[in-house]
Amino acid sequence: MKKVSLLLALLLVLVVMAGCAAPAAAPAADSDSASTSEEAAPADDAAAESDAAAEDDGIYIPVISKGFQHQFWQAVESGAEQAAADYGVEITFEGPETEAMVDRQIEMLQAALAKNPDAICFAALDTQAAIPLLEEAQSRGIPIVGFDSGVDSDIPVATAATDNVAAAALAADKMAELIGDEGQVAVIVHDQTSRTGIDRRDGFLNQMEAAHPNIEIVNVDYGGGDQLKSTDLAKAVIQANPDLKGYFGANEGSIIGVLNAITELGKEGEIVAVGYDAGAQQLDAIRSGVESGAITQNPVGIGYKCVEAAVKAINGEEVEKVIDTGFFWYDADNIDDPEIAALLYE
Amino acid sequence: MASAATTAAPRQSILRSDAAQKLLAFGALILIFAFFSFASPVFFTWENIKGILLATAVNGILALGVTFIIITAGIDLSVGTVMTLCAVMTGVAITNLGLPIPVGILVSLLTGIAAGSVNGFFISRMGIPPFIATLGMMMMARGLALVISGVKPIYFNDAPGFRNLTMGTLVADIPNAVIILFVAAIIAAFILGKTVLGRYAVAMGSNEEATRLSGVNVANWKTAVYALGGFFSGLAGVVIASRLNSAQPALGMGYELDAIAAVVIGGTSLSGGQGTILGTVIGAFIISTLTNGLRILSVPQEWQMVVTGAIVILAVYLDIVRRRRQ
Amino acid sequence: MDTVLVKMEGIDKSFPGVRALINAQFELRAGEVHALVGENGAGKSTLMKILSGIYTKDAGHIYYLGEETEIDGPREAQHLGISMIHQELNLMPHLTLAQNVFIGREPRGALPFMLDERKINAQTEALFERMNLRLNPGTKASELTVAKQQMVEIAKALSFDSQVLIMDEPTAALTNAEIDELFRIIRDLRSKGVGIVYISHRLEELKQICDRITVMRDGQYVDTVDAASIPIDRIISMMVGRTIYESAPELPENRDTETVLEVRNLNRGKELIDVNFSLKKGEILGFAGLMGAGRTEVARAIFGADPVDSGEIYLYGKRVGIHHPRTAVQNGLGYLSEDRKRYGLATGLNVEINNALASMGQFLSSVGVVNDSKMEERAEQYVETLAIKTPSVNQLVKNLSGGNQQKVVIGKWLTADSDILIFDEPTRGIDVGAKSEIYHLLNELAGQGKSIIMISSELPEILRMSHRIIVMCEGRITGELDATEATQERIMTYATMRSVLTDQDDDNHSTDDAAPAAVTVSQK
Repeated sequence: MKKVSLLLALLLVLVVMAGCAAPAAAPAADSDSASTSEEAAPADDAAAESDAAAEDDGIYIPVISKGFQHQFWQAVESGAEQAAADYGVEITFEGPETEAMVDRQIEMLQAALAKNPDAICFAALDTQAAIPLLEEAQSRGIPIVGFDSGVDSDIPVATAATDNVAAAALAADKMAELIGDEGQVAVIVHDQTSRTGIDRRDGFLNQMEAAHPNIEIVNVDYGGGDQLKSTDLAKAVIQANPDLKGYFGANEGSIIGVLNAITELGKEGEIVAVGYDAGAQQLDAIRSGVESGAITQNPVGIGYKCVEAAVKAINGEEVEKVIDTGFFWYDADNIDDPEIAALLYE
Repeated sequence: MASAATTAAPRQSILRSDAAQKLLAFGALILIFAFFSFASPVFFTWENIKGILLATAVNGILALGVTFIIITAGIDLSVGTVMTLCAVMTGVAITNLGLPIPVGILVSLLTGIAAGSVNGFFISRMGIPPFIATLGMMMMARGLALVISGVKPIYFNDAPGFRNLTMGTLVADIPNAVIILFVAAIIAAFILGKTVLGRYAVAMGSNEEATRLSGVNVANWKTAVYALGGFFSGLAGVVIASRLNSAQPALGMGYELDAIAAVVIGGTSLSGGQGTILGTVIGAFIISTLTNGLRILSVPQEWQMVVTGAIVILAVYLDIVRRRRQ
Repeated sequence: MDTVLVKMEGIDKSFPGVRALINAQFELRAGEVHALVGENGAGKSTLMKILSGIYTKDAGHIYYLGEETEIDGPREAQHLGISMIHQELNLMPHLTLAQNVFIGREPRGALPFMLDERKINAQTEALFERMNLRLNPGTKASELTVAKQQMVEIAKALSFDSQVLIMDEPTAALTNAEIDELFRIIRDLRSKGVGIVYISHRLEELKQICDRITVMRDGQYVDTVDAASIPIDRIISMMVGRTIYESAPELPENRDTETVLEVRNLNRGKELIDVNFSLKKGEILGFAGLMGAGRTEVARAIFGADPVDSGEIYLYGKRVGIHHPRTAVQNGLGYLSEDRKRYGLATGLNVEINNALASMGQFLSSVGVVNDSKMEERAEQYVETLAIKTPSVNQLVKNLSGGNQQKVVIGKWLTADSDILIFDEPTRGIDVGAKSEIYHLLNELAGQGKSIIMISSELPEILRMSHRIIVMCEGRITGELDATEATQERIMTYATMRSVLTDQDDDNHSTDDAAPAAVTVSQK
């Protein structure tokens, strides 16, 4: 038995190793083909001598995001790496495991500062918590560039972000148009505390209240972005509201839950589903008509613009204070348009 | 004899309180059902009940494994993320490697058993407390799931039968996932009541030292119990992957607490030695019924957490009261 | 009868800080009941735990049926046919009796991993029948009395077809009727050629049931004698056989007449019945009685650790209500539990902190910060006056020997300014040498005007150390003796004055039991 469990432990270790080998290739294959070859080499160097990087002539910019394991952040990362390749600078990309880990992100920021970087790209989970460190960076002359939810203060020289409030308002308008500007609509959001969660929820609700008075919002729920939990929540809501005409999912996990609920209850075509972001499952649903359409941000653009702005700031060039990276409505009609398709991740 | 009278008296009262606990959980479920049925006309409809059943499947299956582990006076915090790891491994097997669905299922189950065995090894051979060992496994499994999947969901679009595994219907209009839960529960009840493994799980939880002195190889059997917990995680991995038609690598945190809550509400004692599969299944249903019902009534979700938490505390308190009486 | 089943020679065993066995030996023949006697800590249980595979010996040889054997674990011992019934019961309370009996070797059903519950129950029922036990195999173990559980343990041991059966204090918790039943079973086993090792403190019992007696003292073998021919006092002198008690100091003479503590009509269920006594300043009041007589319950009730149904406590003539240990401490009471590790000490903490544990308030500044240097100073003071052997006050208490741990507890209560100290089995599990130090300490404390209640199961200790002795039996105070008039026999007479004997429901047994019960002398 002892031997057996040892063997199993070994097996698991082997699995780890096998697993490690695979993803190293995966993100490379995903990002733009032009940048892959250049990107592989400096990434290795960076790991080996990250301290030395600061002393070398090369420009080093740490990018600290709000996460790494969502597809969205992977897309941001690929944009950032593209910019790094284009401008010949070196970046590192990291983020905490969940968006609740404010302290973890602060540690990352601290560690990044210790490496004496040329600039920092930062998407704050909690701006207030980061202020002392950001002030330190400012006093040391390290420019800060905010991205995504940005940094809620005057310190950043620029912020590259989606205007989530405006984007969600667009989703509300599209929803109203699709259901004939009246009836019941439910909303499912990933969480009630994060900036994006709050902005998208409020952007959607406020627009409905202001411009579409005949639409009644019956439920606002929070599924943690967890597909399974969002599914079961959405099912209960659809059960409770037989006249429900529309459902808005405020991020990828949430809208997948809505789509599952509609499919499992056989309500395809009866409920208008409007989503956010992309992902293979969502794209399929839009193509097949189960989902009417979604808002896409420009994650690759966010990553690219923030690194670009950082480089410009380092070189003393003028940078725009707010860089709107844009958002787009996409549906079955324009999903394959080249400029839209470029923004959608699988 | 004087002692005959003294043994007879406590026996009766214990029986009474034992039965009371079981009735209590079941009664609570009925009560919750009755309440929501009154409060909303859509609650007590077949379509909604089907939704509740389906929503119980994953947590219920996880809770089955956790029941065995808690009966040994242990704990398993890794069931949720191990489930995710198992789902990802199924995805790798079926989608990435193009293996047939049954092989994918087998891979999931074996991954679960392997992870559980490692837990058992840490606990019974290396002497690491269950809380720490499984906490470590929780993080390792989460990391592995992300690494192996390349931090991306794996879809099962190339294996169209896979989704039917849980969402199809074999018996009447009941989704297969629910059938899987009930069959798994029956198997678990059989293992607990009728096999050596179940017997030793209870014995170890009741008095581990006495079990050891009786010549039982406690280390091996404990490892087996954790491996069994892993098996159920693997089964839950198949169910969740099939239902979502994808292996979502970022999922799984927090599932272990729901499973533990279900087990505890079902009357299994955290101090070991006692617990029933029926109780666990009822516990899992109480949680999903509450979630569903409060959603239907549009009660703010924050309150739902408060209610579930209060029920967990109440269940444990009743367990303490009962043991104090003994 | 003459086949030698087990022979143990030159057995050594050490635990951290204690040499439990030094060149110990033992021999067991088939078809004999062989008693193993000695004082607490003489090494009887340790020797038998080595034989049953729970401990491994450091040195020595074990021969089973003439062949040298290594016994590596309980399972190996079971295979050889050696079973041990432990003093602390070893049943799984959540399992049924049948499940307990067959744990680890259940009859299997249709498939190898399936249990055959019916067979388990049937075999257990047959087993119980053979032992004349009227128990339902399907009953949960937790529902039985201690005595019944003991019977089940014996049944379990028998079901192994054991050739060697070791019983550690089997009668400690049994009634006379139950003891008769046990003896009947033992005699039956003996006639079948089973060798039985019988560890007991009840010497009178040994004469009834045993063939030979081996005496141990301080981890060493003393002698093996024939049970029938040896007088009891000879066994006692072999067991005691040393001068430790003789060197115990004289009692302090300064007996005040002031009554510091008076307890009136203390009652709780069947555990405490009309307990009345008083304690004088500078007095050591001994509490004697058999296990479960209610002595610890009295102490805990006075200390406010357990609730009482009724009763009054007077301190210096004033009535006080003590419902919580905190109040007791405030009133100058200190309780030194018999289970030091569980109730008396935080063994994972150091001497300094343990010393201050009952009086943290003294070491807090006005803002609630602990004054470390004051704590250290006080701890060092007591380490010196109590002669606690520790490298420093920062030593963890678990690394100290039993005697020194006990001194740390005493220091704790002295730090808390306790004037009335209740010692519950103060020398249990303490090395022989350290015992006399504790005795000295008790005397000194009494000499300084502290009043002491000393609960002890060791009669010589009670006789040596007490000014007065109160004897309890089944929750009642059955006698009070002055030091000058007390003897072991008188104490034991009071200690066995069971109220059961007067109850009618026990009439059918009383004819046999009354005589031995009255004269049973529990020598330690």
